[in-house]
Amino acid sequence: MTTTTSTDAPAAVADERLAYTGFLQRILIRPEIVGVVLSLVIYFVFWGVSAPFASGGATLLSLSATLGIMAVAVSMLMIGGEFDLSSGVMTGAMGIIIILLVKETGERGGLGMSYWFAIPLSLLIALGFGWLNGKMVEKFVIPSFIVTLGSLFVLKGAKLAGSKIVVDQIQVGDAREGTHYEFWRRIFGSEWERDTHIWEARDTTMTVLAVAGGIILLLAVYEFAFTRREQFNPAGLAILGVGVAGIVAGVLLAHQLDGSDWLVMVVIAAGGVVAAQGMATWRYRPIAESQPIQLTPDIIKPIAMGLGALVLGVVFALVLDPAADTNIVPFVTEQGARALLFMACGMIAAGLFGLAAGRARHRSASTRASVAVMSAVALFAVALFVQSESTSHKFRAELFSILSLVALVVLAWALVGLRFQARRFSDVNADGFARRGVLIGGVLLVAGMAVRMLFSVQNDFDTNNPARLSTYNVRILWFFGFTAAMMWVLRRTRFGSWTFAVGGDANAARQVGVPAARTKTQLFMIVAFAAWLVGMLLAFKLNAIQASTGNGEEFEYIIAAVVGGTALTGGYGSALGAAVGAFIMAVSQQGPAFSGWNTDWRFVFLGLILLGSVYANKRVRQIAEAAR
Amino acid sequence: MTHLLELDNIAKYYGNIIALEGVTTTVEAGEVTCVLGDNGAGKSTFIKILAGVHQHDAGAVKLEGTEVKFESPREALDAGIATVYQDLAMIPLMSVWRNFWLGAEPMKKLGPFRLIDEPKAKSIAKDELNKMGIDIRDVEQPVGTLSGGERQSVAIARAVYFGAKVLILDEPTSALGVRQSGVVLRYITAARDRGLGVIFITHNPHHAYPVGDRFMILNRGKSLGNFAKSELPRDELVQMMAGGAELDALTHELEAGR
Repeated sequence: MTTTTSTDAPAAVADERLAYTGFLQRILIRPEIVGVVLSLVIYFVFWGVSAPFASGGATLLSLSATLGIMAVAVSMLMIGGEFDLSSGVMTGAMGIIIILLVKETGERGGLGMSYWFAIPLSLLIALGFGWLNGKMVEKFVIPSFIVTLGSLFVLKGAKLAGSKIVVDQIQVGDAREGTHYEFWRRIFGSEWERDTHIWEARDTTMTVLAVAGGIILLLAVYEFAFTRREQFNPAGLAILGVGVAGIVAGVLLAHQLDGSDWLVMVVIAAGGVVAAQGMATWRYRPIAESQPIQLTPDIIKPIAMGLGALVLGVVFALVLDPAADTNIVPFVTEQGARALLFMACGMIAAGLFGLAAGRARHRSASTRASVAVMSAVALFAVALFVQSESTSHKFRAELFSILSLVALVVLAWALVGLRFQARRFSDVNADGFARRGVLIGGVLLVAGMAVRMLFSVQNDFDTNNPARLSTYNVRILWFFGFTAAMMWVLRRTRFGSWTFAVGGDANAARQVGVPAARTKTQLFMIVAFAAWLVGMLLAFKLNAIQASTGNGEEFEYIIAAVVGGTALTGGYGSALGAAVGAFIMAVSQQGPAFSGWNTDWRFVFLGLILLGSVYANKRVRQIAEAAR
Repeated sequence: MTHLLELDNIAKYYGNIIALEGVTTTVEAGEVTCVLGDNGAGKSTFIKILAGVHQHDAGAVKLEGTEVKFESPREALDAGIATVYQDLAMIPLMSVWRNFWLGAEPMKKLGPFRLIDEPKAKSIAKDELNKMGIDIRDVEQPVGTLSGGERQSVAIARAVYFGAKVLILDEPTSALGVRQSGVVLRYITAARDRGLGVIFITHNPHHAYPVGDRFMILNRGKSLGNFAKSELPRDELVQMMAGGAELDALTHELEAGR
């Protein structure tokens, strides 16, 4: 299978039959992988074609939040093998209930309760409704699809008729009338306005966090990919130090010269390569003898095609006019088409290079390295082209830095791979170290991005409507918190394990003593809790709730969950995936509007995303499972 | 003397259908009792009564001398009767260790929360499987990626670990190839040697005879007898299992047709 070396000996802790699952494969078997990649691609596309979109983080996250909270809960229920069609109307119903509870008494009035009573009471009502859904599914022994369809209509009708009877309107307000409104508004309705305040240290903080996170992440990936030495070689640390010194010198030089320069780039690149070599010398086992490069046609072909795609992209970029604002085809300007086509070509090329790298995986180390070097060179060429030809600052500076950085990382990786042994066996110590590294590095990276986004200022973007773009609602925090909590519940608690079990095979779970009915009822109650939370968020944000609020949204939750990798058949999925799925839906809702496209096309776009992601989920899962 | 498990003339009726009647046998600790029967002989009903899925309508089940009647699978499990079903009661998409512990996960406290003690669960699962002579490559891999024999052995190891006194195996070899069946039969003897009373349900006398200490043959809901191994030579078992006189008639008929 592999021709790396004959000196490869399994480490002491390894089981020789346990073929090592590489970093890539570890990622591929995660249910949310397609969702994550897709969200990045879509986000990147809209970021490319639309100037205001990039600054719309607050809007996007607010849009994702309510959808995402529900999608996460619904995906858990789906993992448990059930559906709740009443989840959509329940959000609106909860908003109406809380307002009616606190609204001043009188004709056309409410119960006049304090929020201190109304909030727990409404939560109890919601949980009771979830419990009832669960019990009905259990007792009737009818698919939950039908049972909750019944609850859907009951709630929908009660919402409308109830609103008309009580307030004689199809809209119920005002949430403000309740006592102790201010306290609870802080919890469910706080908003944070981005003003013109500029945080001087923002960019430095972001850079430090992102670089630290990136380095730790890289270290973790190296740890996954290479074989540890039995005894670390301290000489490597000295080389690492030289490399790091080179990078620091390069950065300082850049400050001195006030901008990028060939000298700066060379110094940083050399520093990066030396640092990577140093680290590898320190930790990893060198390859004893070199092998020939085996560039067979099945590797050459995708590389050649990838280069062709890049050339095509360059041609598009040169031919089309970057300043033309006229539509060349309906709802796409020449300027937009130029960016889109260039990006599409770039992505196709990236995919083809990836394919070549995948095929080179089981060849000699030198083969792998040469493919990686070619990719790095191509990437850098693209970066240079973007820098010289692009019109907007965000491309010239940001995209150029990102692309050249990625090229550097690939190059350094290739040169390490040439000299050090790839890992073929699992190693408990290295794996644990690497896993922690991925976690810490990921958190630092996200923190860096958050700093950048939260403290964005007007000058970063050329947008006309700042107010709309920079109001952060507390619901974003609720969204993150709820998602994190549910991820943790699914992974670490007994209830989480049981959720997968009852969805995977309820009979089998029952046979080993899992209380299947109780677990499912609790899942319905989690959905009800999420609906209650969304109801509160809506009530405090909108002040008045329409009788139709939430109607028909249940399918959007299901779509978000499915885009995020949750199986319709149950037993498989992830909370993070559902959250990412909700983000994708928000991006695809918001992106066309920002890009100046006709928003009537939104649903076409959404449908295509649904089909594409479901198919991709299936294929990736098949490939990953087959490779196990 | 009291037996580990004793069934005395038990019967089960579904409406006017007699699923099981007059079934008597015993199970001893450290022995294998084989229950043989063709399709529809009442094997499944027999298992379900012992596992607490159904309740017998007549007769008595005695566990260590005291009469019992299990109202639910949980009760039977708690009493020490573990059943490994044909479909194995495993979740294919879940990892080996999660399946091993499913329904009885080891917990640890973290502040107000109770979490699954993952390192402990994994290491015990791996050790227990090793003790049964099963070398699972990676307890993190989904059960769906294991072979049929491996799955059986995980299920058996799970039952043994959770303190089963009586282990009921429902057709563990029926879906397996020759070598895999051999592996499972070895696990059956391993469980027996650890002091469990094993009830081995099968329709294959060739699998039953080498491991069994006692044989009970079911036919159309009735017991054809309950024999110790010494009372019953292999040929006779095969003959009875195949329906005895019926097979003779069939052989005659088929041969005449040539």
